[in-house]
Amino acid sequence: MKKFVIEILYPEFNNLFGDRGNAEYLKARLEKAGCETEIIETYLFNEPNFVNGQTDILLIGPCTEKSQLTELEELKKYSDIIKERIENGGVTLATGNAFELFGEYIENPKGEKTECLGFFPYYSKQFSKLRFNDNAVGEFDGMKITGFKNLLSHAYGENPYPFLKMLKGIGMNKETKIEGIHKNNFFATYHTGPLLPLNPDFTEYLVKLCDESVVLEELTFEKTAKEKRIKELLG
Amino acid sequence: MGKLRFLISIIIGKIVYLIGKPFGKSTNLPGIIMLKICPDALARFKMPEKVICVTGTNGKTGTSNLLTHIIKSSGKTVLNNSKGSNMATGLVSALVTDSTLSGKIKSDVAVLEVDERSSQYIYTRFTPDIILCTNLFRDSIMRNGHSEFIFDKINDYLSKDTVLVLNGNDGISGLLGENVCERVFFSVEKTERSTKECEDTVCDLIACPKCNHKLDFEYYHYNHIGVPKCANCGFALPESKFTATDVDFENGTFKVKGADGESLTLTFQKGNFFNVFNITGAVAVCRLLGISEEVIQSSTEDLSSKTGRFDQKNFGGVEIISMLSKNQNPISCSQSLKYLNSADGEKDVVLLITDSNDSVHGHEDISWLYDTDFSPLKNDNIKNIYIGGTRCFDTAACLEIKGIDTAKLKLFTDYGKLADELCKEASDDRKVVVYFELYATRVVKMIKDKMNSRGGEKE
Repeated sequence: MKKFVIEILYPEFNNLFGDRGNAEYLKARLEKAGCETEIIETYLFNEPNFVNGQTDILLIGPCTEKSQLTELEELKKYSDIIKERIENGGVTLATGNAFELFGEYIENPKGEKTECLGFFPYYSKQFSKLRFNDNAVGEFDGMKITGFKNLLSHAYGENPYPFLKMLKGIGMNKETKIEGIHKNNFFATYHTGPLLPLNPDFTEYLVKLCDESVVLEELTFEKTAKEKRIKELLG
Repeated sequence: MGKLRFLISIIIGKIVYLIGKPFGKSTNLPGIIMLKICPDALARFKMPEKVICVTGTNGKTGTSNLLTHIIKSSGKTVLNNSKGSNMATGLVSALVTDSTLSGKIKSDVAVLEVDERSSQYIYTRFTPDIILCTNLFRDSIMRNGHSEFIFDKINDYLSKDTVLVLNGNDGISGLLGENVCERVFFSVEKTERSTKECEDTVCDLIACPKCNHKLDFEYYHYNHIGVPKCANCGFALPESKFTATDVDFENGTFKVKGADGESLTLTFQKGNFFNVFNITGAVAVCRLLGISEEVIQSSTEDLSSKTGRFDQKNFGGVEIISMLSKNQNPISCSQSLKYLNSADGEKDVVLLITDSNDSVHGHEDISWLYDTDFSPLKNDNIKNIYIGGTRCFDTAACLEIKGIDTAKLKLFTDYGKLADELCKEASDDRKVVVYFELYATRVVKMIKDKMNSRGGEKE
């Protein structure tokens, strides 16, 4: 059976909101299905594994507003390779403000702009000092996806490849129900934290994108937890 | 005009305090009303000669209580806000009870616990002589975001006239007031429990705060508390003026050495290592205030038996140990759970750690569970793990992913049913360890009451 490699990009920064739960959950389910699973952690200033090696699922989590700029500097070195990964269907999940890295620019409250990777035409604006929290449900490919948000910014502008259509909670800003990016097998969303254990069906979907033949078995509680959450949030 | 508003607000504040007191509405309401009448009331009080603020993620309350106690023992009168909130409204409420009608604080010293996020509304109104910051960690996601966000909230409002007393083992809060304030550090030396690698699930400081390269640690006490050293740029925290040494976990004693060569032997609550940091920080502040070693030594002695968040008693023949675990705070929860590694004997564990007021507060963001170290639940001497509350399935899902035996898990969305089942299955040769968040205090009481009446029936 195939060996799975999960790469966590910059875990020293991108671990703010229980994001380790995504890799842990993938590993737990893959191993239950008999797949050997390796988690690679890539620290800043090191060459990411996906540049030359096999990374089946690349995870990029949210970080602080300051580290975001540090990471961008580093990621720009790999801009072409990341773009190629997206075009070639490499499975990638970016959560929280990692979503912003792939847009045009980030504008801070002083009006200063930092150029991002520029793969997609949206841009983000940080607001004052109060963070934005949300409990949300969105829809993707017939699946309901739930998640949490904790942000100091919203995104604006065009979004030609939306990931979620929100049923409850805001989209990439308060005026839209469109949220995140989905292009080929690249997914980016403002939702933070343990998105995969919150959404066991979406986890199966991601794994299928890597390998059709893998049949994941459910763990015991996460499906009930999700059903209960969606019922409460959608009423 | 402003002065008149202030004087009126004092009179009204005092009246609200007197009326509210019998109804338990005296610790915040006077401040709310006073700040409506006089928004800059905090700036208008004539503060005592020494004003000390205590802030930080963990240990604020314990440290301010300890400070108050030592300073009182030195013969001074102390005003504190221990009964009320630690935001501007709570501070104003505490101040008005101790003020003359003209706004002069009667006590010699004020010890004020300050919520980190309220810095802007407090330090801009008056300049504390000393601010003690216990530490900075990730905390409730929904309120605090991340520790850098909180760092800025404090750092942006510090005055050069304040002396900062900082944790020299914390590479996050240890950077507060750099190049702005006079800073005095306290720290804890390597203990027998220090580790070379971080053994906790989360570490809030992995990269160097100066150059972003991976940071080395000489050793860790817990989480990111330890001795960080950057091999790339040479970053290290400044030397400490007050150092805790010879920490004896068995006997609950340690020493504090000052830069002037003085040395105190002190006691701490057994099993509560954080206490060592809190006491050392308090000692540093007291020494800066000129309080003698003798006073510190004797006044801390009579405090060592105080338990605070840990409570152990027999109910209906069953030992129940209850421990407060701050909601949404993975550090607090992980550290409380570590008790299970050292406690002998068979036990049942009850987890009331997710928000018991979920429906009122709004659906809880349970992400923090994944930052919590649940590995102590793997101990073989744990028979059953009861999980209560609306989010019990989320907790159970997280435990399963983290490798806890699912056969031990018993889930209850209804606290009453949990208590009934627990009391029915409990056995007097098995302890019950309850972890609860603040709002679940009522559930703990219910469990204890039910266990008591169960004992009655048996007899």
